[in-house]
Amino acid sequence: MSAVEQAGHLPDFLSGAVGYRIVEHRAWGETVAVALPELTADQATALCGHVRARARDTLRRMETARIVAAIDRASACLLDRGYPLRRRAEALLPVVTGYDRETVRLGLTSYLKTFRKPQLLRFLAEDFSNPGMLDGFQPAAKGGLVRARGPDLLLHVWAGNVPALPLWSLVSGLLVKAGTVGKLASAEPLTAGWFAGLIAEADPELGACLAITWWKGGAGGAEAAYLGQADCVMAYGGNETLAALRARVPVTTRFLPHGHRIGFAMVAREALDSRRAGPLARHAAHDVVRYEQQGCYAPQMLFVERGGAVAPDEFARHLAHELAALATRHPRRRLDAGEASAIAAWRSGHEMRALETEERSGGATLLGDPADPWSVVLLDGPAPLSPSGLNRSLAVVAVDDLAEVPALVAPHRAYLQTAGIAAAPERLLTLADDLAGIGVTRISAIGRMTAPEAGWHHDGRFSLLDLVTVTEIEASAEAAAEGFAPYAD
Amino acid sequence: MSQEEIVDALLAFIGRNGAGDDEFEALALRLFAYQFKHNAPYRRFAQQRGRTPLTVRRWRDIPAVPIKAFKDLTLSCRPPDEAVRVFMTSGTTGSGRGRSYHPTLAVYDASMLAGFAARIMRGREAIRMGILFPDEAALPNSSLAHYLALAAERFGTPASAVFVGPAGLDLPALLAALGEAEASGAPYALLGATYAFVPVLDALREQGRRFALPPGSFLFETGGFKGQSREIEPEAFYDGLSEAFGVPRESCLNMYGMTELSTQFYDDGNAVCPPVKSGPHWIRSRVVDPLTGADLPEGEPGVLVHHDLAHFNSVSAILTEDAGVIVPGGFRLLGRVEGSASRGCSVAVAEFLAAAQG
Repeated sequence: MSAVEQAGHLPDFLSGAVGYRIVEHRAWGETVAVALPELTADQATALCGHVRARARDTLRRMETARIVAAIDRASACLLDRGYPLRRRAEALLPVVTGYDRETVRLGLTSYLKTFRKPQLLRFLAEDFSNPGMLDGFQPAAKGGLVRARGPDLLLHVWAGNVPALPLWSLVSGLLVKAGTVGKLASAEPLTAGWFAGLIAEADPELGACLAITWWKGGAGGAEAAYLGQADCVMAYGGNETLAALRARVPVTTRFLPHGHRIGFAMVAREALDSRRAGPLARHAAHDVVRYEQQGCYAPQMLFVERGGAVAPDEFARHLAHELAALATRHPRRRLDAGEASAIAAWRSGHEMRALETEERSGGATLLGDPADPWSVVLLDGPAPLSPSGLNRSLAVVAVDDLAEVPALVAPHRAYLQTAGIAAAPERLLTLADDLAGIGVTRISAIGRMTAPEAGWHHDGRFSLLDLVTVTEIEASAEAAAEGFAPYAD
Repeated sequence: MSQEEIVDALLAFIGRNGAGDDEFEALALRLFAYQFKHNAPYRRFAQQRGRTPLTVRRWRDIPAVPIKAFKDLTLSCRPPDEAVRVFMTSGTTGSGRGRSYHPTLAVYDASMLAGFAARIMRGREAIRMGILFPDEAALPNSSLAHYLALAAERFGTPASAVFVGPAGLDLPALLAALGEAEASGAPYALLGATYAFVPVLDALREQGRRFALPPGSFLFETGGFKGQSREIEPEAFYDGLSEAFGVPRESCLNMYGMTELSTQFYDDGNAVCPPVKSGPHWIRSRVVDPLTGADLPEGEPGVLVHHDLAHFNSVSAILTEDAGVIVPGGFRLLGRVEGSASRGCSVAVAEFLAAAQG
């Protein structure tokens, strides 16, 4: 076993005084031990007070451009494959998360690319007509002046094993100058702390307004201290976790939950000629393989329209072929009993439904052998959206017209987020209109489902605007002030 | 082969103690041919796996149906309306209950009685029983109600009684019976669903009461807590039973059975948890990889498959949702195998279903 990897990022005054919980992660024949900082309630209170004070004294006065520059430098370090920390990330994250090395490498690069200066400026421009309002009062279109402030203390509660995913909300908080305390996700407890450390190296003053730690959820003590002191809590997790957390957050604290989601894709008949179907299946397979469908934007169902040169069943076979091919380059990690059972239950569920009817039409066909590291089931008629067994399992649903799909997914509005679409421009817009109406918030090309673009609106929300409060100087105050000016007539 | 011939063969086999591997295999293959012929959904299931009576040569290759199938499919060799009894799982929604159709209870009863005599009564003729479960009239579709009725009828003394009625647990009557048993010096047996013991334990603790049941007494529970009572860890549960009733943990017997079987597994007490479970010679168990259905090497944990010859009218081979490991003398139960939640932010089946059901 290698040395213990220290997770998190804490201010100096706590160093040496903090307890750690050691958690071992195993995959690919290796073991990594991670030490998660675990503060007492008093230490948590002191940490929150420290971050809040530093944010008030320094972060509030920093120009946004300086924050952008620090984030840009931290990203640049982690994008450099020769940089020691990047090397460590490539070595440790596959063992901690279970994803194969190539997936981790490509995923890190693709994420970090969205946190370079031009992308960060775009991120700001997406949410603020004039990002200058984060630095001071700016003229408002309706008259008067306006400025925006992030919370003094923003608490992130991260979850899940998708590498670097916490960086989205971490960066959002910093861009609005929020004093930040983040709780590491147990399943990927490293990247957020590394990134915070790099920011502190790039700009020590900014780094001091930022702390990354861990606590056991639901255990009171330190958790109550964190939740009690935050002005805003941004939380990730399943509905049960979020409900429990919300119940412990004071009612005056803003609570911004991001629950689990399900993705799906749609393929129009015009995309199904013999030349396009193969590459499209390869793109779809990439969306499935990347992060093993653990990310909320990954497809779990694929609706394929009849009437193209390539029929849905043929497309399903293309997809199965591509998944088989990808399994060589990106092997699936060894599944635990629960994960294997989830796939087995999903497969046998479809199998049972197929057995209910004697005739094969309207039935389900399972492609591949149960022992294959992927599973595709072909459903011969319209089927409502439902989750797959994850870890490279996917249903291909044949429909006569993609226009049927919104009705099939609408009942699950609360869980919708990303839809991948392959269709001609006019249909893309028509379908997008219908999907927007039932709660889909992101539409991407097939093959890009698991790689949201810079400045995307996670779950359809304004990532930065949701965090700020504005203070307006109304035109009346501005005009009245003129009357009191020394130069007033 | 007709049903009558099957039933006769099974009754003879159940009565033949010490029947060996070859005999089990021969009867298993005959039953597979019978079920393949008369149970259409099972036939399609087996065909999809390329397993037919022509290709299968070993009982281990007979395809095992996932236990969920008993909810979705009608798995019966005889038309379901010919069943004299339908046992159903205790699902909360009407359509979601697994069903086992019994055109006769002759085999079920013979299997139950032989197993109970050998593993619970152990040579004893009769014992005074207290039953912590509603009777058959109250729960006609419960295999456990029928099981306990059979036990009381065949092995219970006339003073035996059921303590769960329409109004729930009759605690005063139970405490009176326990007190009588304690005073009489004659062994007593308390049998019921695992969760039914919890309120009794709680009441005794509240009243500060403990019994010292006479030597030879035993406690019998089955089925787990099922959300019907709070969950208690096995060690604490058996300590609690032992303390409350004055019965050693070796005499706290657990039966492992299911609606989708006609034969039950037993342990030899719960001095050590989890104990080794085993069944009679007409049921065998395998431990498999849930995804491929392939046998795992002995000693490696996986998912249990039970092959119950007595479950002749439905399907004899079932893939359970119980984790287990084969050990010398039987297997150990390691809990439920549940589809895990996603490790990331994808919604997984369990959360999705929970939301769909409101």
